[in-house]
Amino acid sequence: MFVAAYLAATASVAHSDLGVQSLVLVAAVFGILAISLDLVAGMLGLYSLGQGGFFAIGAYFTTIVVNTLGWNSFLVLLMVLLIAGLIGLAVGAMSLRVSGLYFAITSFIFTLVLTVLATDLKITGGLQGLLGPAFPDFPEGLDALGTPVAWCVMLALLLCVGFVWSIRKSPLYPVLLSIRDAERFAEAAGVRTSLIKIGVFGVSAAMAGGAGWLFAFLGVVSPGQFDWAVSLNILVMVLIGGINTTLGPVIGAAFVSMFPALVNINPWLQEMAYGALSILAVTLLPGGVMSLLKRVSAFGEGAAPEPAIAAVDRTEAPVEASVFRKFASRSAGAAQAAGPEPEYAVECRGVRFTYGTGLMVLRNVDLAVRRGDIHGLIGPNGSGKSTLANVIAGRLQPLSGATLIKGVRVDGASPSKRAKLGMRRTFQAAELVRELTPIQNVMVGLFTLKPRIIPRAPFWPFLPSGRRDLAWMEGRSREALEMVGAGAWVGRAVGDVPHGVEQLTQLASVCVAGPDIIVLDEPATGLSAREVDHLAGILSELKAQGVTMIIIEHQTRFLFPLCDRVTVLNAGEVILTGTADEVRAHPVVRQVYLGE
Amino acid sequence: MLQFVVSGVAIGAVYGLIGMALAITFYVTRIINFAQGQMMMATVMVTAEISAAGYPTWAAALLGLACACILGVLSYLVAVRPILALNRFSFGWLVSTLGFAVILENAAAYIWGPTSQAFPPLLQATSFHLFDAVLTGQQLLAIVTAAVLTAGFELVRRGTLFGKIGMATAADPEMATAVGVNTTVVAIVAFAASALYAGVAGLLIGPTTFANPYLGDTFGTFGFIAMMIGGGTEKPIAAMFGGLLLGLCAEGANAMINSQASDWFPFLVLVVVLIVSPRGLFSAGSLFGLRARAVAPAQA
Repeated sequence: MFVAAYLAATASVAHSDLGVQSLVLVAAVFGILAISLDLVAGMLGLYSLGQGGFFAIGAYFTTIVVNTLGWNSFLVLLMVLLIAGLIGLAVGAMSLRVSGLYFAITSFIFTLVLTVLATDLKITGGLQGLLGPAFPDFPEGLDALGTPVAWCVMLALLLCVGFVWSIRKSPLYPVLLSIRDAERFAEAAGVRTSLIKIGVFGVSAAMAGGAGWLFAFLGVVSPGQFDWAVSLNILVMVLIGGINTTLGPVIGAAFVSMFPALVNINPWLQEMAYGALSILAVTLLPGGVMSLLKRVSAFGEGAAPEPAIAAVDRTEAPVEASVFRKFASRSAGAAQAAGPEPEYAVECRGVRFTYGTGLMVLRNVDLAVRRGDIHGLIGPNGSGKSTLANVIAGRLQPLSGATLIKGVRVDGASPSKRAKLGMRRTFQAAELVRELTPIQNVMVGLFTLKPRIIPRAPFWPFLPSGRRDLAWMEGRSREALEMVGAGAWVGRAVGDVPHGVEQLTQLASVCVAGPDIIVLDEPATGLSAREVDHLAGILSELKAQGVTMIIIEHQTRFLFPLCDRVTVLNAGEVILTGTADEVRAHPVVRQVYLGE
Repeated sequence: MLQFVVSGVAIGAVYGLIGMALAITFYVTRIINFAQGQMMMATVMVTAEISAAGYPTWAAALLGLACACILGVLSYLVAVRPILALNRFSFGWLVSTLGFAVILENAAAYIWGPTSQAFPPLLQATSFHLFDAVLTGQQLLAIVTAAVLTAGFELVRRGTLFGKIGMATAADPEMATAVGVNTTVVAIVAFAASALYAGVAGLLIGPTTFANPYLGDTFGTFGFIAMMIGGGTEKPIAAMFGGLLLGLCAEGANAMINSQASDWFPFLVLVVVLIVSPRGLFSAGSLFGLRARAVAPAQA
């Protein structure tokens, strides 16, 4: 129905006069550009001002090659997508070196440089620019449809909208948002964040290059149409329309690009009105037009009754062993075939680490965690517990020493590589995507379990396998959340749930993948006594399923009954490793940590 | 040979002042004010207008600076404060400061028309000889003013309590408020000071460029490049060094390649600098970024 209406509108545009056509088609091209920017800025949080540059590359390449070499326009499209995509991969790779504002600046300079090149090189026609090529005509029978270029542009826009809509409905979406808001969490779940960032950036650049290809057929191609002001305008379009929404960028593009035609006064006053409007839009409506529409539609339906805040007592439900068996260590069965399991799940030998200030934070730390054990790690603040956890998880690289997971040396491996070996970890301050629900956050933990999610993402709602896999992932996430006792909160956004539920969500996201080893960094922080008991029950059940755990904690009353062995750190050195009773009785430990 | 060094340093001083203006704003609020170039333009236009009306040059200059300061504070209250109040890490200011710049530039074009007007000379047309180079009085004034203002800023930043408050407000405004700092006042003073620096740059370059509403674009861009090359996002004084380097590069390119080279050569320098040292040449090595990666190499 929506598609039918859209096609009808396209037909009318294809038959209208040049003025209307030009207005609508330019707006549509900018709609595609805005969508390409939203892909990186809205979903990945990479504010790039480089769309103008890729747009320029597409337009100039098309114009020069089609006009001077006479190649087939559609062949040139493929080349443009490839070239813009490759350059996009290179620029995206820069985002790994510089983050946030600096990346915006770097991409801004990329566009600046391209504009200067376009102005000064002879082949690009200097400031005057070049006249774009003519779009190939329809074959004989289809002439009745009207101007071919109009159909091409509008169909391309529909394709891009569909592309982005499909990604939003796929499991890739929570993963992209987690890279934006909680990158460490995504990496710890096994997501290869760097590759995804670069890849998505390349796709966005290819899209912008494609928009340039379309633009070349609409008229003149000159540097003034691709400079940094245009890049910034595209960002304005995204922000005004609604960042991280499917239709927002298109609405924003329509508004910004048609504004001069609608407000036909003195050009200087017109610009001033535009400036004032953009300030108002961004200060009054940070969520853009789409947020306004959402509010209006919610108002129209009448406020949906707020689900009664379920009593926190729900977390008291007895922990069922049968549910846990579902998430049992995946390799428990597979390993039997592979040969004898290594005795130690995690080992550190002679690990030394410094943050670079000269102070040795970890001095020759030896740690041996037996398979199936719960191994506690205690010590005063500043003793290096979290640092050691980060070294084991792969976030920090030690100065010297070896780290082994299941007998395999993992010294330089990234957190996502270690996740492949069956290790997961939690963070002291839960890193989750606040605007998504707990189910969606937990789904990030399942990303590595289903094959080919990324290639399927652009078509997801249309693929039967997609619908099947999504249902499985949602079901499994829901079960994991119920298992940890957060079942009552699955529908709320994480930003709205209490702290205890955030911790449980984190735990669920870790358990859902059936890990062999879990590193927990102060899991009881901020939990009430009842919640702490519940957590202890969950961890005991996990151990019964064969999961090895390393737990950093200050709450010794919670920790000691759970642990098989405890390691005590003080000032970066291991004082003692032994059973809970041995540790409790040791004089040095009492002196530096437990108190006499 | 010495000639381009001398003129490079002189123009570099102007770029450096604008770069510092951007850096001072960034120092206290962590945003880049796209309207900074327009503050400079406003000073130039107002000074030209008032001087043409018959008033003495010094009065016109003071009024021009005052106008820039007012616009600076306005840009904070209208375009920056509402955005930061909502979300400290949002990028909405990219849009709102740009919108403000667009308003200022087109207002100026509307009021004065798009063509250039005369700007009063600040000094008599004197010139000095330094070995085989010629230095005009205007250029010498630019260098001296820049030196004074740069040194002054550093003194205030490091020596006075106000400077420290500025640093605190930038690092964590909520915490600063909790210890009794009025972050609004601090930000207003910072924006006014930035506008002042930009305005002074305008007064120094006005006699050469004349009064034109589109000055803000060009000089704003160069000031921005100066700040990025120097690393002024971490220490405002680095923006001045960046500006001097930029001026030298631009004039050097002019002298040694061809007279159009100063259009593109600075960008080449900027790209090289950013690839080699993304935080600028004179910045510290530590990671800054709004979303800094946690993986840190163990080596010092």
